[in-house]
Amino acid sequence: MTLATSAWLVLACPLVGMLSIALLGKKLSPRLAGTIGTLAIALAFAFAVVTLIKLQQLPSNARLETTSLWDLANVGGVKIEVGLYIDPLSTFMILIVTGVSTLIHLYSAGYMQTDKGYVRYFAYLNFFVFSMLLLVLAGNLILLIVGWAFVGAASYMLVSYWYRRETATAAGIKAFVINVIGDIGLVLGTLFLFRTMGVLDYGQLFSNIHVAFDKDAPELVAAMLLILVGAFAKSAQIPFHTWLPDAMEGPTPVSSLIHAATMVTAGVYLIGRLHPLFEWAPTAAAVGAIIGAITLLVAGSIGLVMTDLKRVIAYSTMSQIGYMIMGVSAAAYVGGFFHLMSHAFFKALLFMAAGSIISAMGGNQSLNNMKGFRKAMPFTFACFLAGGFALSAFPLFSGFFSKDTLLYEVGARGGWYWALYVAGYVGAAFTVFYTWRMIFRAFWGQPCKEAVVVMETGDAYHPAQHTNPHTGNEDDPSTQEVEDPEVGFPGHEHRYAEKTWQMRYAMIPLAILAVFAGVIQLPFGITNVISDFLHPTFADSTVAYMPEDSGLEAFGLILSSVIAIVSLIAAYWIWVRRPGSSAAIQARLPWIHKLFVNKWYFDELNHAVIIAPMAAVGRFAKNTFERIVIDGAMVGGATGIVRAGSSVVRSGQSGYMRAYASLIVLGLIGVALYFLIESA
Amino acid sequence: MSLSIIIWLPAVAGALSLLAPRAVAGRLAVVGALATLVLAVILLVGFDNSAPGLQNVTDQNWISALGIHYKLGIDGLNVWLLTTTAMLFFAAILFASFREWERPNLFFFFFAVAESAVLGAFCAQDLILFVVFFDLMLIPFYFITGMWGGEGRVQATTKMVIYTLIGSLLMLVAAVATGVIAAEGGQPLTFAISGLQQAGLSTGTQEWIFLGFAAAFLVKMPLFPLHGWMPDAYRTMPLPALAVFSGILSKVAAYGFLRIVIPLFPDGAAHFQELLLLIALASIIYGSVMAFTQTNLRLIFGFSSVAQLGFIVLGIFALSPRGAEGALLQMVNHAVITVPVFLIIALLAARSRGSEDIREMGGLAFRAPLLAALFLIVSLATLAMPGSSNFIGEFYILLGVFESKTVIAIIAFSGVAMAAVYALRAYISTMHNRVGAQATPREIGLQDALVLVPLVLVILALAIYPQAPLKAAQGPAARSVAKARLALDPLDQRASTQKISQVTP
Repeated sequence: MTLATSAWLVLACPLVGMLSIALLGKKLSPRLAGTIGTLAIALAFAFAVVTLIKLQQLPSNARLETTSLWDLANVGGVKIEVGLYIDPLSTFMILIVTGVSTLIHLYSAGYMQTDKGYVRYFAYLNFFVFSMLLLVLAGNLILLIVGWAFVGAASYMLVSYWYRRETATAAGIKAFVINVIGDIGLVLGTLFLFRTMGVLDYGQLFSNIHVAFDKDAPELVAAMLLILVGAFAKSAQIPFHTWLPDAMEGPTPVSSLIHAATMVTAGVYLIGRLHPLFEWAPTAAAVGAIIGAITLLVAGSIGLVMTDLKRVIAYSTMSQIGYMIMGVSAAAYVGGFFHLMSHAFFKALLFMAAGSIISAMGGNQSLNNMKGFRKAMPFTFACFLAGGFALSAFPLFSGFFSKDTLLYEVGARGGWYWALYVAGYVGAAFTVFYTWRMIFRAFWGQPCKEAVVVMETGDAYHPAQHTNPHTGNEDDPSTQEVEDPEVGFPGHEHRYAEKTWQMRYAMIPLAILAVFAGVIQLPFGITNVISDFLHPTFADSTVAYMPEDSGLEAFGLILSSVIAIVSLIAAYWIWVRRPGSSAAIQARLPWIHKLFVNKWYFDELNHAVIIAPMAAVGRFAKNTFERIVIDGAMVGGATGIVRAGSSVVRSGQSGYMRAYASLIVLGLIGVALYFLIESA
Repeated sequence: MSLSIIIWLPAVAGALSLLAPRAVAGRLAVVGALATLVLAVILLVGFDNSAPGLQNVTDQNWISALGIHYKLGIDGLNVWLLTTTAMLFFAAILFASFREWERPNLFFFFFAVAESAVLGAFCAQDLILFVVFFDLMLIPFYFITGMWGGEGRVQATTKMVIYTLIGSLLMLVAAVATGVIAAEGGQPLTFAISGLQQAGLSTGTQEWIFLGFAAAFLVKMPLFPLHGWMPDAYRTMPLPALAVFSGILSKVAAYGFLRIVIPLFPDGAAHFQELLLLIALASIIYGSVMAFTQTNLRLIFGFSSVAQLGFIVLGIFALSPRGAEGALLQMVNHAVITVPVFLIIALLAARSRGSEDIREMGGLAFRAPLLAALFLIVSLATLAMPGSSNFIGEFYILLGVFESKTVIAIIAFSGVAMAAVYALRAYISTMHNRVGAQATPREIGLQDALVLVPLVLVILALAIYPQAPLKAAQGPAARSVAKARLALDPLDQRASTQKISQVTP
């Protein structure tokens, strides 16, 4: 098998899986649909490994292959091929995407087995993975945009998967529209590039960029900023992030998929993929880095006060992606993609563990109601701990090494990048606090009634009726909308990890990776797997690849360890030893708390700046303009002219439409016949 | 193969169904449309993309005293539109034949005559013949709306007749004037489009004649602000007829720009380029805004059509080969999605006790997964999601505009964002959320699936290979706008601005 063939097969597996599940539909038993879906992705992972092996067999200065099947369009000097671009970066991405997705599929097969839309669910899930792989493997900007939009559509379908919930369909359309705005940014950026360069393939873009544009030329900066809009929308960066927390409406494994393996990492990949362009437009790259830094701080601060378990993790994703966007924009490629990898492992794991708890809670997601699950669910607890240590960058866990590599690379650039470096470490403290707040509140303390049920009966808590946690009061199910039982989580039986082998076997490998994956890229050049592997992709970088400054590196590691340990102790103090202290802090700083709880008012800002004016324009057009100008002046005027001009026609048309039209036909036929006879 | 056979076959079948017993009237029309489709596909397969000029030409003297010919022919501009028309009329007639109609003989007669007229308008290569077919295609729809329409049909028909007749009259005057003025230098009177291209009318003449044609075409599409007749007509027209009316007849007008107006009156087109671009832009924005405020499904997609035709006109009046190619592709795309949209609306209404208001629908997807899937694919294509052929069409259009009128292209993108809102809103409020007040969910029937599934497969096939219609459009589209482009910018500097063409071999 050649390199190209194996890459095509990576793409083909989820597509075939999706089609076969969708076409067989209800004929498939749920179990079979889950099996097909999971196997399709597992097979894709296998082909991704083959791709990796084939790629590594090439000499390191020639690890790039392009391949194409047919032309989507090829006229007017625009050539759009259905082609792939296989290099270390895209191979790195397909390995993570397929690997983590396989485990998420396996987890889903257990978690969703009582859901009535099980078959549809797996068709969507496979489509999602296909879209992400297309995005990652695409060989030109247009095919990238296609994958980009497919990911958006797939996320829409999965976010509003429980479509009887209006909160879910609203969240779905929000995600979709914000993603479309991102797509538009990408397309516009592409148009700017194409107008000057006339090419769309990566290879030609990269090799010609220095000739086509001057460094930091305004037009290039404009193009790259527009492309950044695309990256921000997909990766939930400020101000395009508001869809991400709402996307928690989807089933928990979907959150896991969106946050870990697919979707939100797309922006990071895009910046890495187009790094020759961004490095040639340093202004745009700087904007990317600064937005990433702002996002990581803002999202971290919101994560501190959210009470919905899944939303805390969602804001944590936004914050961690902020690190990656900041990193790759600041040319910290190794750290950026290393962190992308370790984040994929521990974030997928955290969502899976959260899903297990939510199941045990009977669908309730509020941290205010969770308590003392430590003994009730030891396996879930252990996994959550592994993910939590990795997320909070505790020394020696994977997140510790990846975040440190990233910040070290950023800091090593000196100059104003120091500000980003500092922001990264401030954000690290936030991370520790929100992570451990979550863990301490859900697992420590006197067990809540649901935890007691789990301990006593060995089964999940079943509420009398299922309610939508996103309506009414978050903590009080009796105020919430009752679910439509036909399509609504969580079915009548809940699955949690201790009792469901698929969930357990999906979580174990991720827990191991979350703990140990850091060993492949250790500081001081002890291991260099990622930096060596990705080097061919970034060999053309004008910024020093993996700086050598062991003083800075050591400083970062020590600082990071101190932050992690001190903050962890502080968090323990606040949420376990002195349970009232967090309320006391809130009372002391009410306005900050209000700002955080209201998510820095971004939803309100969007509403005031975009949605409200649009709605007003729409109302004006419909109620006023259309009635007065179009119907009144235009139609009335035209009608009036005709009426005034011809009293004969007027008498003919008032109520005798048919006769009137018949006259026209007869007249026309008569004229035609006359001339036909004439010409014969 | 003679184009006359393809053109007149539906009308002959329609005439037969006029005489046939009620029960078989629909079937006869279906057979006629099917035979036409088969012939059209054979024509498409046999079409030679590389040959310049017209193919399958029929040219006979019709009214020799006035130099009017019965001249038909196909080239890259119309061959795909012709086949698309035959396919979509077949689908709509088949769909209609599954339903009960009062006076079915007459209904299917009008339907079939409409198909003949549209095919004729696409094939006509004589100015007067085009005008005749153009007017002929409207007449059956006056009758269909007036006789089979819903509430308020008389007012709707009146508005439609007045609007379109004013447009048609202006066009007729403009067409006659073209021939007469072109013959002033002592040449024999001719209305053949190919002959008139060499006429070389003065710039002033071109400008007013241009306006005459433009008025007729813009009313027909319709574009803002000439769409006043559209809401009423759309609200009342029977849905199978509305499907082809909205999907195909609007394309005849857009096609008329590329076939007649721009090649014959290049100076006029160049002179009014910015006016037309602004009208197109206004249509995109106004149509989109209106589409997301409407609650009647027909009007949501009616105004969506206004916006989509805005894109098509934008591409045409970019007066660049890429814009015209994109516009031609988009004409095919928009026709292919609009027909299923309106047929699906008929199915949705049947599941909502006749209501077409999205506030009374909802929650159908659970019992009707296939219908939901079809509607989702069509909706995503409507909003030109990347991966659909509509995206490629819009990309070419915006590329064409972007090269010279960057600001207009950037503003036009707001239409893309709004399309996402109104298309998904229509989908969600019918298929998702709680079961609506009037909704009675059930799956699409076998017969209707037989119509809609193949149409959706065509949408998917176009998405995978939009190059097929693009390739046919390539040469003729570029030739169509070549003169106007030259009139616009004699030096044609844009070709040399791409640095890369000097860089890469």
